[in-house]
This record gives sequence, C-alpha cells and structure tokens, in this order.
Amino acid sequence: MKVAVLSFAHERAATYAQLLHDMPDVELLVADPDGAAEDPARGSATARRLGARYVGSWDELFALRPDAVVVTSEVDRRRELVERAAGAGAQVLCEHPPAVDEADARAMVRACEDAGVRLSFASPACFGPAFAAVRKEITEGEVLGGLTAVHGAYNRPRPAGAEAARSGALGTNAPPVFDMVDAVLGGIPAEQVYAQSNSVLGAEPGVESAALVTVRYADGTVVSVDCSWGPADSGPAVGGPALTFIGERASVEFTAAPRLLGGFDAATSRERWGTRGDDPYAVMLGEFVAAVRQGSGAGPDGAAALRTLRIIQAARASARTGQPVELAVPVTVQP
Amino acid sequence: MRQLEIALIGAGLIARMHLEAWIGAGASVRVHSLDGRAAELAAEFGAKAVDSLAEALDGADAVDICSPTGTHRDIALAAIAKNVAVVCEKPLAADVTEAEEIVGAAERAGVPVYPAHDIRFAPAFARLHELVAEGRLGAGTVARFTVAGYHPRPWTGHASVESGGILTDQMLHGVDIAYWLFGDVVRVHAHYQGEIAAPAPQGTAAVGTAVLTHASGALSQVVSRWTPTPQPPIRVTYHVSGTGGTIVHDSEWPQEIQVSGGPAGTFGYYGESPFSSEIREFAQALRGGPEPRLVSHDALAAVRITQAAARSAWTGRAVELPVKGAAA
Ligand SMILES: NC(=O)c1ccc[n+]([C@@H]2O[C@H](COP(=O)([O-])OP(=O)(O)OC[C@H]3O[C@@H](n4cnc5c(N)ncnc54)[C@H](O)[C@@H]3O)[C@@H](O)[C@H]2O)c1
Repeated sequence: MKVAVLSFAHERAATYAQLLHDMPDVELLVADPDGAAEDPARGSATARRLGARYVGSWDELFALRPDAVVVTSEVDRRRELVERAAGAGAQVLCEHPPAVDEADARAMVRACEDAGVRLSFASPACFGPAFAAVRKEITEGEVLGGLTAVHGAYNRPRPAGAEAARSGALGTNAPPVFDMVDAVLGGIPAEQVYAQSNSVLGAEPGVESAALVTVRYADGTVVSVDCSWGPADSGPAVGGPALTFIGERASVEFTAAPRLLGGFDAATSRERWGTRGDDPYAVMLGEFVAAVRQGSGAGPDGAAALRTLRIIQAARASARTGQPVELAVPVTVQP
Repeated sequence: MRQLEIALIGAGLIARMHLEAWIGAGASVRVHSLDGRAAELAAEFGAKAVDSLAEALDGADAVDICSPTGTHRDIALAAIAKNVAVVCEKPLAADVTEAEEIVGAAERAGVPVYPAHDIRFAPAFARLHELVAEGRLGAGTVARFTVAGYHPRPWTGHASVESGGILTDQMLHGVDIAYWLFGDVVRVHAHYQGEIAAPAPQGTAAVGTAVLTHASGALSQVVSRWTPTPQPPIRVTYHVSGTGGTIVHDSEWPQEIQVSGGPAGTFGYYGESPFSSEIREFAQALRGGPEPRLVSHDALAAVRITQAAARSAWTGRAVELPVKGAAA
C-alpha cells in the first residue's frame, strides 16, 4: 500500500513518516515541494534518512496514485491538498484544523464525499481500544446511566513553531478533546459555547495560553474543559487528554496517558514517570492504515471535524465578547 | 484568661463538629436547637442546653450559627443587635440580600462576623493557599476544582431551581477557594443540571459547572456534584496552574492510613480536623488575637459568586460582577 506524507510544515510530519515507514506493508512516499524558507530540504532529508521515496512535485505525487495520504501542510494549503487527494481517490488523514474558514472546511468534506473517499482527522486520543471501551460503555449506559456532564483537561505544552501562535491554546488543545466528546455523543451538535481565555503564561502578548471552554450540546449534555498549555517541561503526565464522564448513576474517568511506573531517576534528578507506552500516534496510524485496507473509516470524519471547528470558532468569539455563543442546531440532526 | 462563652445554635450534623472543636479550644458552650436534641448533644460534651435564642445570646461572646441556611439571617441579626460576635456556617445566608444585611448590620455595630468556610482549613487547601501566597505559583493562570459528594439525608427546606437550589450550597466550597487564591471575580458562567430544587429526596444527583473570570485575568473552573450513592465517599480534587508551575491534589491519594476491603470509611487519619483548626483560629480572634483567614466580606463575595452562577445557569448568559474600586 502506498501512503504519502504531504508536506513537512506540521511538527509531527517526520514522526508520521517514520511510523509509516516502519509498517511492513506500507510503501512510504514523501512530498514537500513547497518546503520552508528556513529549511527547504526538510522533506527530502527525512526521506533520505528513512530510505523512502521523495517526490518533488504535487503533480508527480498524485500521478503515483497513493492509496492514502497524510496531510501535514500549513493550514491554508490543506483544502487544496485534500481536494487533490480526493480527486486521486486517496483516503485522507488530515491534521486539525481542516481550514481557517468553515467554508473551506465544508468544501473539503464535500470533495471527499463526492469522490467516495474517507476523510479522517488526526485526533490520536479518539483511536485505541481504551477509548473505544469508554464510548461503548457510555452508549450502552449500563454502568453510567444517561450522560449528564463531562469535565477534564488537555494541557499539552505549547507546540513549537509559529502556527501555535496563530491558533493559540484553543487551536492546539481543544480539537482532540472536542473530537473525543463528539465521538462519545455520536455527533450530537453543540448548542451553546462559552469560553474564557488569558495569555498569562505565554511570552507572546495576545496569544491565548489558557482557555476554559464550556459547551452545552443539543441533548443537554454539558462539557467543560481546560484547554490551556501546560508548562513547557511538564512531562508525560500531560501527554494526553483526561476526561471525566458523569452519568446519572456513576462516572468514568478516562486518561489517555495513565501512569504505569514511578520511582526516581538519578540521571535527571527527577521523579520517574512512565506510561504503558503505546505511542498514541502509532496506534492512530495503525488504525488508519487498517481502515484504508478494509475500505472503512477510523477516527473523526469530516463532519465531526466540522462540528469541532464550529465549536472552536464559537469559543474564540465567546472569549472575545464574554458571553456565550448560541449555535443554530442543524434541523436534520435534531433529536 | 476568661473562658469564651459561645452560643451554639443547632444540634445537627455540623453543630456536633463545631461543639467538639469549641470544647477543644477551651470555650464554654450553651446549645440551643428547635428539635429537642440540644440537651443530649450538650451532655455528650459537657456543655449546657438552653431553651431560647435569647437565653443563648445572653452574655455570650459569640454566637455560632449551625442551623439551616434559611435561618442564618435572623439569628445573626439578633446576635448583632446584642453586640454578640457571629460565627456562621456556610453559606452566610441564602441569598445576596440577606448576606448584605448581615454584613451591613455587623459593620454598623462594629461586631465581627467569621464565616465558617471549613475548606480553607482543610490541609490540602491551606497548604495550597500558603504556596500561592508565598509566590511559588507565580501569576495564576487556570485553576480547576471538583467536589463530588453524597448528601446523607433528604433536602428539607424550600429552594427553587432559579435560586440555584441545592447546588449553590456545595459549589460555595470551590468558589471560595478560587476567590481566596485568585481574588475578585468579574464574570461568571454556569450550568446547573439534575434535581436541584429542594425539598429533594435522599440520593438526589446534580452537577454544577461554573467558569469564573478573575479581575487578574486568571480563570477558574468549578465542578460541583451531588452523587446519588454514598460510595465512593466524598472526593475533592484541584489542579492549579501559574507561571511558576502547577499544584495538584486528589483526596483519593492514599494518606497515612489506607484500609482495603470491609465497609468503607471505617477508619483513617487525615490530619487535624478542619473544624478544630477553624474554631481555634476564630477563638483566638475573639480573644483579641489576629484576624482569622476569612471575614464577613469573604463570605459575602462567595455568596455573590454562587448567586451569579445560579443566575447564569437560569438565564443562559454570563453574569458580570462589579468590582469595588473599578471604574464603571
Ligand atoms: N461546612 C460544610 O461542609 C457543611 C456541611 C453540612 C452543613 N453545613 C451548613 O451547616 C448548616 C446546618 O446544616 P446541618 O446539616 O448541620 O443541619 P441539620 O438539619 O443536621 O441541623 C440543623 C439544626 O438546627 C436546628 N434549628 C433549625 N432552625 C433553628 C432555629 N431557628 N433556631 C435554633 N435552632 C434551629 C435544628 O433543630 C437542628 O438541630 C447549614 O447552613 C449548612 O449549609 C455546612
């Protein structure tokens, strides 16, 4: 199976390339023709290091008919690449956000639908068996009863690079969390979004480093999460989202990066902290590639990403005005 | 030193803890309640029972109000009128108007009001505040507080959903800590879910979710829950962040003693009871010692914030709170 990594603009592109390259039945293609001014050879260098095929232009890449692509370009190039991938019949795994504008995101979703291509989003916490078990349990409602409220946090530190300054903590940390909630709620749309933010932690004035977002969904579920950046060196404990699902009878806590080991590490003079070590990105890519092979889908789809995008845009508007934003609930999905 | 004379009002759940703490602080206590339990409670701790509020207040240094929240105002005003200092269980009053009446009357009379927010005396919260006050957290960014507990009895009394019902009661704990750490709150948004109106049966489940914006720019999230079953026992957590790092706590972390199997809550050790340290601090203040860590204005601020949360949950809007001294 041919899987292409499209662009190295995103911080995780090289990780994805490595993980795909390590899969026995995947032929990795790497393309980064737009390069970066400061590092024009970043894509070709990675390809060379991995012994993977580097492709010098988008035309050439799509002419090779990849079975699937991973879109890790700058945000404003994602629409074009997703549309081209759809045109070439390649299944797509795209980084968040799909686009800056909702209209662009809609166009991407439509292009994939029209081409019969599954558009998936890179929300690692939505993949994997533990989260699947939580989803199943909540859907069945036997232990929890009806879901009432969800609270939690995703405090990943600020990612390096200029993109994080553009998107702020809401842009980097809210999508994985709201994708998880969307998966649990089965796509029920948000009805009211309230957010407050500050830039106390960041060195960059005007870039929000802390944000609390509260969403009420059309079925009445209330979700309130802390999407703030954690301290730069805060370690593996903040490696993944942690959410508490509160039901009428009981509650369930889900931790994407649970502690497995403790102790003391003399080399760093720090407390030892170890998780079980299933790399969430490896799990995600594994499920994505398996789904491509089976012709099915894995993870949040285009419609889910659109719902998440609407929540984040409403959160930004709410943080500006200090009042909740009411979202029109599409008639077709009203319960 | 002359022994403090305390008029303890109420002989219920919380009155017992206060009584034990007053005796421990060396005070002499007269107990008054309406349910006929005062005599038995008093006898247990070597205190005495009296038949009326007037009798209790007569010659007392302080009243300690441990009766239901709806009765706080009248009892506090009666004490203030007799120049008797007021210690009062949380919340200071059922709404902002009543709380303002108490604080206003006390100020005019020059009588101190010490609100019993025991959470400020719980070791994990007292240490948290110390660290923050020492500057170890740096500038505060975001704090999250959760409290989940079972209410052991049906809720008597009347409280509408609009008033915030049984949630404002518990939410006050998290709100008070947020205010203590990060200061004045200028904006509140909240959702209240579940069976929150009182009267309500035992095992009532409810969730409150509030976001507070502090004047400093710091943010707090408070999640407050009444759980339908006694198990698991009360659970309290916080996660507080600032430019200097994070401070976290979970009441489920094992302390000195951890019991496995058998009935839960059989025994354990969690340090000195918060009620003991609280009452000791109030007793010292009543004897002319330093001002306690919280006074009337803190209680009023907490009631203002929980009432704003109730109002937000009711109207679906964020509620702005005026800040003293800020330009309009
Ligand atoms: N700090 C906490 O965590 C906490 C916990 C529980 C209760 N409380 C507060 O403590 C107060 C009492 O709660 P409780 O659970 O102990 O109640 P309770 O029902 O167990 O006891 C109330 C007592 O007050 C007496 N009483 C009622 N009206 C009276 C009146 N007008 N004059 C004299 N006595 C009167 C009753 O006879 C009874 O003895 C409430 O304000 C509540 O919010 C605080």
